Amino acid sequence: MKTIYFEDVEEGDELPPIDMLLTKDFVRRYARTAGMDFPRFTDDEGARKEGLPGMIAPGVLSMGLLARLISEWNPAAQITRIGTTFRSPVLPDCNIHLLGFVTQKDDEQHTAECDIWMENDDGERWVIGTAAVALPTKAA
Amino acid sequence: MAFDFDRSILGQVFDETDFPPITKDDILKFAEALGETNPLYTDEEAAAQGPYGGLVAPPTFVTRLRPQKMTPEHMPRFGKVGFDGGRDLESFTPVRPGDVLKMVSTIHDIYEKTGRSGSMYFIVLRNEITNQNGEKVAVVDHRIVQR
Repeated sequence: MKTIYFEDVEEGDELPPIDMLLTKDFVRRYARTAGMDFPRFTDDEGARKEGLPGMIAPGVLSMGLLARLISEWNPAAQITRIGTTFRSPVLPDCNIHLLGFVTQKDDEQHTAECDIWMENDDGERWVIGTAAVALPTKAA
Repeated sequence: MAFDFDRSILGQVFDETDFPPITKDDILKFAEALGETNPLYTDEEAAAQGPYGGLVAPPTFVTRLRPQKMTPEHMPRFGKVGFDGGRDLESFTPVRPGDVLKMVSTIHDIYEKTGRSGSMYFIVLRNEITNQNGEKVAVVDHRIVQR
């Protein structure tokens, strides 16, 4: 398993971005797996009846994808906290870009803070957040 | 609308839900639905060699736990429109196959923010999840925005 140690992380390090086409099928599959099989997350017409422009992705899906951004950067990082703000509805089918960087390191706790966000092709940040991770250390 | 509510509702438990045991399949399917590639979440054999000695769930797995009552019966209303404003998740111990989880839900906080477009009201529902060993698994704060 790929492991990035605390000692090899620098403040300012970028997390390798994830660029993906967020399809309606992907959103539906997530909604069904996560027990959120509601029209607003699965069906355009049902979502419009609720006053939405079309089906939307659940906020917790965006959050899960941002956790994945960290987990793909460093599978050995333990996510101890992740906070996300849903600023705008996420409407599939659209390109999304998951981005982030390390903002701070704590030398005593061997932890790091990251800024993370999801943006569209125009750079609009639909979801923003922060995460704290505990990192393995070479000293242990 | 006036920002006025009975503060005694803060901290009151409005739901307690016990969930059936989490299966390996629940975890694998959830990880797959997110497109996760981390072997700790997707590969039982590789995970056995990892820091947890076995498969664990991605941290946001706990957001799929649905309380019996999503919102309290006495949930205050401050506006016409409500939407999901965000989540804050603290993770203490990972979810593993076979875990029997319990979730206790409270109204944690209610506050108002005033911006250019007027007032927005935030209702924070807190879900605290523990496992069969009495260990704290996670705390999820769910911010519902009304305006």
